[in-house]
Amino acid sequence: MSLILSVAIIVFIFVVIFQIAKASEYVSILKGEEASRQQNNKINGFLMVAFLVLGFVGIYVCNKAYYGKTQLAQGAASVQGEKVDEMLFVTLIITGIVFVITQVLLFWFAYKYQEDKNRKVFFFAHSTKLELIWTAIPAIALTVLVVFGLRNWFFFTGEPPKGAMVVEVTGKQFGWIFRYPGKDAVFGKKYYKNIDPATNSVGIVWDDTYSKDDILLEQTMYVVKGTPVKLILGSRDVIHDVGLTHFRLKMDAVPGIPTTMWFTPLYTTKEMREKTGNPNFAYEISCDQMCGNGHYSMKGVIEVVDQEEYDLWMAKQKPQYFTAFPEKDPTAVPVAAADTTAKVATAKM
Amino acid sequence: MATEVKTKNKIHPQKMYLYVGLGSIVMMFAGLTSAYIVKKSQSNWLDFELPKVFFIATVVILLSSFTMQMAVKKAKEGLQNPYRGFLTVTAILGVAFMTLQYQGFMALQANNIALTGARSNSAASFLFVITFLHLLHVLGGVIALFGVRFKSLSAKNNTENTLPVELVSTYWHFVDILWIYLFVFLQWIG
Amino acid sequence: MSHEAALHNHEGHESHGHDDHGHHEHHDTFLTKYVFSQDHKMIAKQFLITGMVWAVLGGLMSVLFRLQLGYPDASFPWLESILGKWAKGGQITPEAYYALVTTHGTVLVFFVLTAGLSGTFANFLIPLQVGARDMASPFMNMLSYWFFFTASIIMLSSLFVETGPFSGGWTAYPPLSALHDASPGSKTGMDLWIISMALFVVSSLLGGLNYIATILNMRTKGMSMTRLPLTIWALFFTAVLGVLSFPVLLSGLILLIFDRNFGTSFYLSDIYVNGVGALSNEGGSAILFQHLFWFLGHPEVYIILLPAMGMVSEIMSVNSRKPIFGYMAMLGSLFAIAILAFLVWAHHMFVTGLNPFLGSVFVLLTLLIAVPSAIKVFNWLTTLWRGNIRFTPGMLFAIGFVSLFISGGLTGIWLGNAALDIYLHDSYFVVAHFHIVMGVASMFGMFAGVYHWFPKMYGRYLNNSLGYIHFWITLAGAYLIFWPMHYQGLAGMPRRYFDFSIWESFKQFADLNRFISTVAMIVFAVQILFLINFFYSIFKGRKVTVLNPWESNTLEWTTPINPGHGNWPGEIPEVHRWPYDYGKDGHDFIPQTTPVGEDETETH
Repeated sequence: MSLILSVAIIVFIFVVIFQIAKASEYVSILKGEEASRQQNNKINGFLMVAFLVLGFVGIYVCNKAYYGKTQLAQGAASVQGEKVDEMLFVTLIITGIVFVITQVLLFWFAYKYQEDKNRKVFFFAHSTKLELIWTAIPAIALTVLVVFGLRNWFFFTGEPPKGAMVVEVTGKQFGWIFRYPGKDAVFGKKYYKNIDPATNSVGIVWDDTYSKDDILLEQTMYVVKGTPVKLILGSRDVIHDVGLTHFRLKMDAVPGIPTTMWFTPLYTTKEMREKTGNPNFAYEISCDQMCGNGHYSMKGVIEVVDQEEYDLWMAKQKPQYFTAFPEKDPTAVPVAAADTTAKVATAKM
Repeated sequence: MATEVKTKNKIHPQKMYLYVGLGSIVMMFAGLTSAYIVKKSQSNWLDFELPKVFFIATVVILLSSFTMQMAVKKAKEGLQNPYRGFLTVTAILGVAFMTLQYQGFMALQANNIALTGARSNSAASFLFVITFLHLLHVLGGVIALFGVRFKSLSAKNNTENTLPVELVSTYWHFVDILWIYLFVFLQWIG
Repeated sequence: MSHEAALHNHEGHESHGHDDHGHHEHHDTFLTKYVFSQDHKMIAKQFLITGMVWAVLGGLMSVLFRLQLGYPDASFPWLESILGKWAKGGQITPEAYYALVTTHGTVLVFFVLTAGLSGTFANFLIPLQVGARDMASPFMNMLSYWFFFTASIIMLSSLFVETGPFSGGWTAYPPLSALHDASPGSKTGMDLWIISMALFVVSSLLGGLNYIATILNMRTKGMSMTRLPLTIWALFFTAVLGVLSFPVLLSGLILLIFDRNFGTSFYLSDIYVNGVGALSNEGGSAILFQHLFWFLGHPEVYIILLPAMGMVSEIMSVNSRKPIFGYMAMLGSLFAIAILAFLVWAHHMFVTGLNPFLGSVFVLLTLLIAVPSAIKVFNWLTTLWRGNIRFTPGMLFAIGFVSLFISGGLTGIWLGNAALDIYLHDSYFVVAHFHIVMGVASMFGMFAGVYHWFPKMYGRYLNNSLGYIHFWITLAGAYLIFWPMHYQGLAGMPRRYFDFSIWESFKQFADLNRFISTVAMIVFAVQILFLINFFYSIFKGRKVTVLNPWESNTLEWTTPINPGHGNWPGEIPEVHRWPYDYGKDGHDFIPQTTPVGEDETETH
């Protein structure tokens, strides 16, 4: 019912506006071409300046309301991220200056040079000098940005330092799977036709000796504060993207083509909770490439901890091999069929 | 530049239309052949020989360009019957080309080189898609040939206006040259 | 008939005896005049109206998905009555959301801002402004519209398919778009999407070829290339961009059809689909599609932008009563933008894992393209400086275009720098950028063109007051919608998300989303006001009584108020000067057809 009412009100408003517009057209015909044009010019000229002023007020208000909600206000949580934030500020300043100058000139000229009986236009068709000046200045400004940007780009996409830990991340519809190489620090081979969602979600080739200690997890992965970590990304089905907002990085996860990205986290999750004053803070992994109807629900979490916590956590992880082949698991106690007193010890995570 | 400036309209607008259109077609095949080159440099690429029948098809289409050119010559000379004859032969050669191409596909399948489907390799799939698309353009040319041919039969036919057959001829030479390029490309780079 | 007309043009000017109805050789029936017309002016209007229909549909879609984003917890029972199973319980489902977002993007980029913008104004203005009776091939021109119409019908039909229209984003990346099982929207809806797009490409090509041939070969006596209005130059480069880049999209779509339906592995490799199992495809590269797609995709945004730029240059000059500043620089920058447009596509692919060196080349080229864009802005500002400005609605939209282009263009510099793009890619920062610089700016160019040339199209004026209301509310509304989105992007908020409530990092913008959605609905409503103005004025608008209502120099204003077939009843006028002699030697304006006087200062 309220829908019909709303539509009726809108239609009514339209009709009113329309009638006013028609009426004003008749009035302007009566007034004559010249006079009505003058009035229109006056009104719109004024609105040009008003828009300019209100526009900058709006920019200020918006910034006040929302700057605090951006990542910039929070500060970056990785070495790379700090460089990104620096670059964001520099770009903001350079483009901001251009923005202010050009918008002011645009709306100010529109207002100032509105039609006037007494004005004689200045027939000014070209000036090579001016063209050269305003080609050179943007070119120089952009060169600065490019140099800055490419330095960072090669740093981000280059090889991580020695001693980086490596974690493999596989995206799927709709979640993340993490694989750690285990004590031998080498990933076992994998082949997608081996995938079994229950026991072998990334298709590890069990025959490979390096596979036997690989650890598979979903949803949450652990890294160490201050230690560079290299992520090897892949996907099981469609293109996903590992988005790490707080670290200012992302990289596509493509089926059949591994990609990599590395970063050095600066603060543990606990430290960030204090820093931001948000007890629910988490380093979330967001999927940043459209991957289907569950695209918005692919949340992963990176826990950044210090070395001791990490070692403790790692010690508790059981190689996936033993989940796939429980009979091979030395820590599991075999279940005797008729012995009801035997404790079934399933590995605790 | 205070005095009159002459505008040069040397090329007929519809010829210009066609030339630029041929540029578009080139871009489509350029996209496909670039993709082919990139794919080839990656893993899992099957090398195989092109069946002989594609060589024969190449000869056929070269011949058809010759007959096409003869048709245009006769049209310009006003000799209607030879003109129609050459048009017909060109169309027949065009159909022959298409048939031979089809036989080429069959030959590959017979040699266990699947063009599509689960067992197919990109090398074969690319060959198929590129050649098939070219074949479609040849078909378009054959239809245009029939169109011009039947127009030449009508009573209202203006024998002095050779523009339609010239346009078809340009298009026909283009699909020929395009095939030469694709054939050499697939032979050499494939 | 068609090539005879072209021949006549080719040989120079021949006068045809004309009656009021048009060409003396045939009588028009309703069908041949309004439906299967070969007259470029009618075809232009067909493109315009079809484009408007899609603008309403696409805009409505955005209202619907903004409803979800602004009010994620609310339920609207009336939604279910319209959308049925796509809005169970009065809430838009994720399936419906993604279908809406995808169709919105596809339809606005291609059907509205390419067909509706280029198709309308290239068709309408080129023969009139170069001094030709019609296009090089009126028959192909008619086909170009009907291919567009057919593409529209097929795209529309995809909305009603059981499994729904395509829903993987307008960029249609495989494997999502290639695998029937990856999403319901990737079933029949996707096949229809591809067919529609293929037909659309054909339509664009048929049109573009005409624009090029007509501009190069059918200009009237005295109309050298450097005496062409900038509108025509812009439309020329737009056509060249289209003719060279759309075929590559077609090749990418053909390979996609094969992967979807014939088991090939161009884009597919190592895939395990939930519920289906491991697929046999090996060796394909999903990134290959992105290269082929963006090779069109990037020129496409300039195909959308350039016509707007050309029209704005024209409209600004006329309404400032001053020449456009720096004609050759404007021409040169159009040329530079056109060339560079082909060389920057991979800046959409910085995070695909491409070779960093390759990435750096694309950074350089992308930031390079900012230079000619900047030159254009400065030239427009200088055109206004010391002019005598008339605020027609067309002029307002032209000024608005410049403002939006500045804003949107500057954020492009942020994104073009790869190291920053890593952070901002696929976030609302990108959404804000392309909506401002392409969506709204080009739309403003289109509105400017409609308000300015409506008198020539229909012999009547659009209502001025409605025009002013349309402009100011849309300009303010657009900024209110898209400016704050930059902040959402800087918070890392991802695009194409149905809902943010589970995300600790992104859920802080609930109020802002509600605000944006509300403004969006108001802005959409104002566009409806514009449409009412448009259709009403076609029949009941204030009649044009003078040949040259804007006191403009260009050739289209030398035709009768309602030009028929062949545009000029007598001979086509001869041109003696460039189109921008406004305020020269104390004259308010000097039309292009005016011969050069003896004591005139130097002309172009």
